[in-house]
Amino acid sequence: MKLAVVVQRYGADISGGAELHARYIAERLARHADVDVLTTCARDYITWRNELAEGIETVNGLRVRRFPVAHPRDTGDFGRRSRVVFDEPHSLADELKWLDSEGPTSPKLIRFITGAREAFDFFVFFSYRYYHAWHGIRAVPHKSVLVPTAERDPAVGLALFAPIFRGARAVMFNSLEERALIDGVSRREGPGVVVGVGSAIPERTQPWRFRKKFNVKRPFAIYIGRIDRNKGCAELFEFFERYAVMYPHGIDLVLVGSKELEIPSHPRIRHVGFLSDEDKFDALAAADVLIMPSQFESLSMVALEAWALGKPVLANGKCDVLRGQAVRSNGGLYYESFEEFAEALYTLEGTGPIGAVLGRNGQEFFRRHYAWPVIERKYAEMFDRLKREPATAALEPLPGFFARRQRTIPPARQVVDAVPSGPVVK
Amino acid sequence: MADLNVRSDSVDVEQIMRQIRARIREKRGVDYTEAELQQLANVKLEKFLDPRGVRSDLVEQFRKHRVVSPAPPHFTFEDTTLYETHRGYLRAIRKLLRPFLLLFFNPNRITDALHTQAEINALNHRLFRQREELDPLVYEVIHNLVVEATRLGIEVHNLKMRVESLSSRLDFDERRGRSLESVVQYRRAAPAGDARGAGESRGPDEPRESGETRSPGGEPRSSGEPRVAAETAPRPWSEGGGGRPEGREGGGRRRRRRRRRRPGQTMGDQRGPVGSGSAGESGSPGAMRGPVDTRRPDESGGSGEAAPRSSAEAGEMRGPDDSGADDQ
Repeated sequence: MKLAVVVQRYGADISGGAELHARYIAERLARHADVDVLTTCARDYITWRNELAEGIETVNGLRVRRFPVAHPRDTGDFGRRSRVVFDEPHSLADELKWLDSEGPTSPKLIRFITGAREAFDFFVFFSYRYYHAWHGIRAVPHKSVLVPTAERDPAVGLALFAPIFRGARAVMFNSLEERALIDGVSRREGPGVVVGVGSAIPERTQPWRFRKKFNVKRPFAIYIGRIDRNKGCAELFEFFERYAVMYPHGIDLVLVGSKELEIPSHPRIRHVGFLSDEDKFDALAAADVLIMPSQFESLSMVALEAWALGKPVLANGKCDVLRGQAVRSNGGLYYESFEEFAEALYTLEGTGPIGAVLGRNGQEFFRRHYAWPVIERKYAEMFDRLKREPATAALEPLPGFFARRQRTIPPARQVVDAVPSGPVVK
Repeated sequence: MADLNVRSDSVDVEQIMRQIRARIREKRGVDYTEAELQQLANVKLEKFLDPRGVRSDLVEQFRKHRVVSPAPPHFTFEDTTLYETHRGYLRAIRKLLRPFLLLFFNPNRITDALHTQAEINALNHRLFRQREELDPLVYEVIHNLVVEATRLGIEVHNLKMRVESLSSRLDFDERRGRSLESVVQYRRAAPAGDARGAGESRGPDEPRESGETRSPGGEPRSSGEPRVAAETAPRPWSEGGGGRPEGREGGGRRRRRRRRRRPGQTMGDQRGPVGSGSAGESGSPGAMRGPVDTRRPDESGGSGEAAPRSSAEAGEMRGPDDSGADDQ
């Protein structure tokens, strides 16, 4: 079987959630199939500037074909268009312009996909919201498998994506909540399965090595990821500072990741920067609890890694996915206000056995649903099924010139708000 | 804080969260919604801004001297403004020649720019006026904050004084308690007849209830009133914390020493550091006195029972101006 994994950025040093997800899946699928990666020359997800060389290169043993981005993103233009399509009645033409403005606009990549449609059995597209996925699925709908990595943000409510969700041969969801969201906005009925992604969990971790290397002596909660306002870090800092006042002998907070937001100078908040995988897992093993403050997550790989290591997770309860996973796994607590944050953190650090029990439950949850053999089996079963069953739903054509320009589409935010929210508990 | 009730491995996250919420409700009393909290905050703010609550001459002064900035000259710029004139014939000529003018340059751009500028000016003035109207309110709020801060400062100062006073009293009570305990402990050494005759208190070898002494009538007496024992049990200097002879020599009168402050002196100032004492206090005979000291300063060293001791040993204290004159 020959597969193409199509993703907006790709590289061993690119650590974005969807990109890492794509790399892990590509490397795992390569054990069972011939896999090519099709991607752009961009490295920065904000500007999509061409930074990597066009052409073929090998990354971790996989053939990677890079295509140039036609124009970098104009952030001002993108912001304006986002306001229009998210908050005002608009036309399909507005949405198409928004997609083009968002990028990474790479017509060469789409032309390659169109030309090589017969060379591959399936094209696995990552991240529904970008140019490559929308145009790519339209180019090869009957061979497309979409890994949407959708969050509950207004973009998922744009009218141009619903036909894509319905038209892709199969959708590989990250969580039950994501499935409910996408089914809600698109009313799709095709094949789909909740898969997610595993992680490269090391056999052994050495917590003391992290403590020694970074001179961390006290018990601590850990946050791993980009330290960014969009990831909920501003709220995390505010809550933690108040918690520190409330519990002077409570645990510390260690931050791992690149800094996009000013970190408050506080004796109990420590930033150790971006860490190698080895250090990261050591840090996670040394921590008492992982905090996930992000409100928008389709799947938190870090949370899965924490569970894999038997650590409980304290998640933002406003994120349906994280809350649902915490409840289904019985592997973590969640918060929606400062009081809940402080009490939950106190519970996890103050009454030891609960943290350990939650961690064990999380470990079991990870083993049952997110271990690599499980993931690989789900992908293999889906490809077999798609080979057996003929494609039924055809991709709906785009409306005509004038219909595309009618401002009759409701604001995307309104569409998303109309979809029932909340965690899927059962 | 109440512990969570979690049994073995069968944890239920939803249940834990329910317990956490219940705990929060317990702590907070009432579970206010965000809207209710907002409403409460507004009510507080209104109360805070109530002018009756603030007596401020400064606010009046501020209002008196308030200057309202004059409106800028009315300046509008339309597409006809360039060609306007009060002379009718000139206006007609300009109108006729306007197309020729447009051959040389485009005045519409200038008109647009100046029109926009005029609108900006008007907007600026409007915003500035709003700001001016808001200023007194801001001033008033700041003033009230200052008043409140001052009031709180004074209150904090008073509370500090009170804490200091309470601390001194507590210290004094502790010392008194210790010296009285010593009195009870060493009562055995006292002449039996003396002690029995005067106070009827029991010796340490006799069975007794802890913290109890006997009143002269043989009734139990709580440790809060050990004066009888102190008065009836003379003991050597060398023994015990408050170890001074406490015999009442020919007097039925009880005398109690009262500490006095000097003008401008706090209780803390008056009290010397424990175990050291200031020069002239701890070392001088009679400088440190028990709470039930019946002797005058000149009597203390004269009995030959013991040498003067340090304040630490004595566990008692007295200010430098303490003297027999203070005895009641």
